[in-house]
Amino acid sequence: MANETRTQYQEELERLEASALDGLNLVSSALQRTLEAVEHQDVELAQIVVADDDRIDGRYLEVHQSLITLLATQSPVATDLRLISALLHVLKSVERMGDQCVNICKVIPLTGNEPPADREMVALILGMGKQTRGLIGQAKRAFGERDIEMARDLVRQDDFVDDLNRECFRLALAIGDDADRREWAMTMLLAARAIERIADNGVDIGEQVAYVVTGLFREFEDASHPA
Amino acid sequence: MDVSRDSSQSAPMTEPNPDPQANPQTGSGSTGPSLSVAGSAGRGAVKRSRGEGTVELKDLNAYYGSTHAVRGVDLHFASDKVTAIIGPSGCGKSTMVRCINRMHEEIDGARAEGEVQLDGLNLYDPRIDIVAVRRAVGMVFQKPNPFPTMSVFDNAVSGLRLSGASRGELDDRGREALVGAGLWEEVKDRLKAPGVSLSGGQQQRLCIARALAVEPEVLLMDEPCSALDPGATLRIEELIGELQQQVTIVIVTHNMQQAARVADTTVFMLDGELVEVGPTDKLFTAPDDDRTEHYVTGKFG
Repeated sequence: MANETRTQYQEELERLEASALDGLNLVSSALQRTLEAVEHQDVELAQIVVADDDRIDGRYLEVHQSLITLLATQSPVATDLRLISALLHVLKSVERMGDQCVNICKVIPLTGNEPPADREMVALILGMGKQTRGLIGQAKRAFGERDIEMARDLVRQDDFVDDLNRECFRLALAIGDDADRREWAMTMLLAARAIERIADNGVDIGEQVAYVVTGLFREFEDASHPA
Repeated sequence: MDVSRDSSQSAPMTEPNPDPQANPQTGSGSTGPSLSVAGSAGRGAVKRSRGEGTVELKDLNAYYGSTHAVRGVDLHFASDKVTAIIGPSGCGKSTMVRCINRMHEEIDGARAEGEVQLDGLNLYDPRIDIVAVRRAVGMVFQKPNPFPTMSVFDNAVSGLRLSGASRGELDDRGREALVGAGLWEEVKDRLKAPGVSLSGGQQQRLCIARALAVEPEVLLMDEPCSALDPGATLRIEELIGELQQQVTIVIVTHNMQQAARVADTTVFMLDGELVEVGPTDKLFTAPDDDRTEHYVTGKFG
């Protein structure tokens, strides 16, 4: 009987991990749509992303509640406890990533139907998005496989995103004196910044991989004390 | 410490033994020795100063006939700390703890080898008086076992009475022990009622008071809450937190959450061997040994 309960508990924990990590697939899809909306100034698609964020929030609430129930009823310890703690962080990151997609999609209508887009800057943002989607996939794989090296490599992936973000900033500064173009560039900087934050959330998930495996939490990179 | 056997003190056990076959008093003789001079002095002199009550097990082995129940355990119990011993049934945790106050050897065919040191003194030294050992190392059992024919107060001071304490001293120290065990307020108006008339949780605290009255340096608790409801359990756990300032506490428990709540250090045993010992939070969040991990997460046991 006791073993039976423990088996159900282990299965439930595995199910919740899969469900939380699947949240990263939802985010990846949302980001893909967001990038399409940016590329084509597709206001309708942007609205769909905003509405669809309810699914990501719903996943957060559902898995979060189930994890709290496991904490209350099964008193998990050791690796199980670390996993649950890490999954709570992952869920929070997933929810934040979804919100960043919403932030981007909310500014798209502000730029108008035929904005004075700078091709180079759009390409940079799409590049950031593509790089970040790759990072999200790698974070999910690293967590599922408990692969610390793969998780640490997320920092390197994030550096590419940061470089592109700085490049966007440089382009925005150099965009010229036209008021409309400046406004568009400022709006796109917000989008770039949001994508850069999504990538940071991916690195946060990588740090949780290291915590699950080693029991020690260490930031891969300390933003307030960079090496 | 005075290890002589010819003191005029009589030294009581700190609990009645439910098994007459295993009466620890039978081997001791009636003349009562003491492990230290503290027990013969007045109240002020028997206060344990901080830093005492350190227990050291050195290559401890315990046997039941040919069964090797505890296998070469080396372990340090720090003074003023709570140490929990966890492990599946039959892992030797109770046996190990019963070696600390030499209760183990009272069972027919049982013997122990190695050393148990209390503040550097080997309790298995042939010159040591076994009854004095049991005064210095008190014990509380799974099931509350107050003396059935004694009142609440007499139970609390039963150990002291055997040591020849004066009436006034009994009154003072009995009250002190009941206060110390967190029981005084509940029983002060019925001190003459039978000890067994109390609730289960109160009876267990009465047993703790009885153990405390002789001012032990170490208190062994063998699953002290397994027969109690959650409220009474909580009360005992709070008491453990309060008592650790006075006495080194070793608690055997099947309840891992209880170990996690009360203990500074947790020891995991398996098949008579010590598998892992470490700070409690470490053992329950990131144990070093896979066997500990499997046990605490419920994958076996």
